[in-house]
Amino acid sequence: MSGAAAVADRALAAAPAGDALVHVTREGSLMLRFAGSRPTQATAVEDLTVEIAVVRDGHVGRAATNDDASEALAACGRRADASATAAARAVGAGPYPGFPQPAEYRQLGRDTTPPDPADGGRALATAFEVADGTGVEAHGIWTAAEVETAVASASGTRVVESVSDAFMKVICIAPGGRSGYSATTARTADGIQPARLAEDATRKATRRGEPAALPPGEYRVVLEHYAVGLLLDTLAITAFDGLAHAEGRGALADRLGTAVASPGVNLADSPRLEATLPRSFDAEGVPKAPLPLIQDGVAHRVVHDTRSAAVAGAVSTGHARVPGGGPGPIPTNLVLIGGGAVDEDELCAPVELGVYVTRLWYANVIRQKEALVTAVSRDGTFLIEEGRITRPLADVRLTDSVLGILARTEALTSRPGLASEGEFYGRRFASAVACPAIRANGVSLS
Amino acid sequence: MRELLERLIDAATGRADYIDARHLRARRERLAVRNGAVHEVLSSESEGVGVRVRIGGAWAFATARGSSRKEAESALAWALDVAAGQARVPGAPLAPEPAAQGTWASPVERDPFEVALDEKLSTLTAAAKALRERPEVAVATARFQAFRTDKAFASSEGAYCEQRLTECGGEIAASAVGEFETQVRSYPASHGGGVAQAGYEHFAALRLPEEAPRVADEAVALLQAPACPAGETTLILAREQLGLQIHESVGHAIELDRVLGREASYAGTSYVSADSAGSYRVGSRLMNITADATVARGLGSFRWDDEGVEGQAVPIVREGVLQGFLSSRETASEIGLERSGGCMRADGFARQPIVRMTNVNLEPGQAGTLDDLIGDTDRGILIDTNRSWSIDDRRLRFRFEGEAAWEIVDGRPTRLLRNPSYAGVTPEFWSGLDAVCSPSEWRLSSLTDCGKGEPGQWGHVSHGSAPARFRGVEAGVA
Repeated sequence: MSGAAAVADRALAAAPAGDALVHVTREGSLMLRFAGSRPTQATAVEDLTVEIAVVRDGHVGRAATNDDASEALAACGRRADASATAAARAVGAGPYPGFPQPAEYRQLGRDTTPPDPADGGRALATAFEVADGTGVEAHGIWTAAEVETAVASASGTRVVESVSDAFMKVICIAPGGRSGYSATTARTADGIQPARLAEDATRKATRRGEPAALPPGEYRVVLEHYAVGLLLDTLAITAFDGLAHAEGRGALADRLGTAVASPGVNLADSPRLEATLPRSFDAEGVPKAPLPLIQDGVAHRVVHDTRSAAVAGAVSTGHARVPGGGPGPIPTNLVLIGGGAVDEDELCAPVELGVYVTRLWYANVIRQKEALVTAVSRDGTFLIEEGRITRPLADVRLTDSVLGILARTEALTSRPGLASEGEFYGRRFASAVACPAIRANGVSLS
Repeated sequence: MRELLERLIDAATGRADYIDARHLRARRERLAVRNGAVHEVLSSESEGVGVRVRIGGAWAFATARGSSRKEAESALAWALDVAAGQARVPGAPLAPEPAAQGTWASPVERDPFEVALDEKLSTLTAAAKALRERPEVAVATARFQAFRTDKAFASSEGAYCEQRLTECGGEIAASAVGEFETQVRSYPASHGGGVAQAGYEHFAALRLPEEAPRVADEAVALLQAPACPAGETTLILAREQLGLQIHESVGHAIELDRVLGREASYAGTSYVSADSAGSYRVGSRLMNITADATVARGLGSFRWDDEGVEGQAVPIVREGVLQGFLSSRETASEIGLERSGGCMRADGFARQPIVRMTNVNLEPGQAGTLDDLIGDTDRGILIDTNRSWSIDDRRLRFRFEGEAAWEIVDGRPTRLLRNPSYAGVTPEFWSGLDAVCSPSEWRLSSLTDCGKGEPGQWGHVSHGSAPARFRGVEAGVA
């Protein structure tokens, strides 16, 4: 795949004079869905988005198209110009300081390959074989993509990178209705082991024992890395958004430099770490760099794009999601450093009565400033008794502060896993959280 | 466009059991004024073709941007190869449907894309300024958005139809920041505001600048308001929160793809089964729900769905008993329905049609106005505007939280309450329904961010309802 940089150059040439920036994303993706151990949907996408942003008197106007013909690019540029000009007419001078000046960035060298339907077909067949052999149904997706992104600006920024990503999840459902989950996020399809996924999911779905139920209360909980990843995704929004922080809405407002988590918690945005889905620059072409967010339990900093940095009197940390800001900046390469526990069994060992959660679902922020979220467990919730998992447990609702959970974290496994929900709304932007499983006490469940 | 789509269909004749092709041209405009500055002015356009083929029971879907015949044919070839290469699986025949023919457009008095940016920004600026009259409001936001979709559909069964859908609306929100929490009030709704299948006239009728002072006052007042007390109570839900309650606990649960287990990978399954229509009690006898794709101004309204089935009104719940589902031609056939409910929709050309809600509406009752309903309630709380929602993957156990509530004492709304949450189990909750306001109170509320499918698709839908009362609800939950 090639051409995003050339399209960006042509779009910039077609853009009106003055401060302008072009962001081009070209996606080639394939997703295979399956349900009841049979393929159900196959979706191939070949598309691109050209976004032209223009600054006029401190206002950003944006326009987007998926047509890279010269006329369409010129029309897109005119719409962006008209938008920015109208904004300036409406309220006078605006706060946007202008697109960033070019900066040196470190091109991450990596090979990408277009998604191959044959890889997906083999992965599904393997998962079906494992499921059939154990009398469960396999549901899930296999997906892979190659995405090329380029940014070009009138001030001289020229950056481009290609990334690939692959994801497979398997949910196995046993005849009685119990389900189990396993998933892998990787840079390429050959990083996926479908047999292992199906076996893990099957093991959870078929765990023996009558499902137990617990009364609402606070429990010691072991969260697999899938569940931890989703909680950290919500923390990215509630705590590390530099715009919300500057406006006093963020969960770390007035808390930077203070202990917000257990001393064993070290959380960073690590866009260059090969074990994640690395990224070199943000939507404004600002280079990404490792950024400590919580160190030894102490809140260290939040992230910025150009817009939030201007509000906060800071500098962009390379976290713009769209040119010119808009939605607040968030970290997209979170890494939670592992601890000393060998595995989840070791996390369970000191728990007299507790809950084991494979994954959380439908997480929603209730109150941002408290980092208070609610979510439901699914596909593998178990009772822990006297140090080991004993039987299935009815799914539970977790309603708690993510910072609170991190403050009550007692132990972490040593090896992080890469957690992702595999959600791709709009133009594909794969991200994942590298994190270990954790054990926390006093987690509010109902 | 007709020639392009019909040539595609012709090219695949004999190589697939069924083929359909859609061409879409989508346009969107999104404006936001925030704290006195123009925060966002975005205009986006996209165009492309989506081709769906079925061989045996296997589907494949591929896309091509633009309207190039060559690119569309490549997409078709890819879809044919993938469908043919999949394991042979038994597939139910598609439920029969007359071949769609004709054109349709949503009624629009004033084209929102023809209204000058200056006029829209002027309204938003005035609204945001009015919100900021209260200095405690740290973030004041006013938004406008408009959508237009021109789509053409053709199938191997001889269908060809064209539709133009126009949607428009907006919202305001005030965030008051206190020492320990932030309180937000929105109007006319949170999560995308009030959007209708209509023109600019709908946005203008929202009167955002005029509503802003009340919204700001309530946001500030919430900072000092007592927390919603915990315990069992009588709950009155205002329209927007009730719309979301319908959406999450009924609308998604009756999607037939979920019921049949096809969405277990992502959205989940359902608490109802395919054979439960006619017998499963979802709620009290006052619960009457209809999935209606014909209601004027609804975001779930259309003339034909994305597999060419004519929009219709389908009874879902009558007197508390489940009667029907949201279905496609394939899922309808699988459970023996004579016809699809016409619920297949796709988010743009690059996503394949899946079962989506039409306007899933709670029919009005006879409880009079909202004031009448409050007057008829000794003690309870009235919750307005959703803040947070979460429900399990079977759509049974939910927890919702509103932006604001008012305590009702002796038939009168009294003090404002902050953080009003409630939780329940779907059939038990709906069994507590004991009053629904009259038709004069019935309105549509909208959602533009309903997520479903893999790859993800955003859906736009409306829910009609009148305020309703529920007994025995756990409120003030953790």
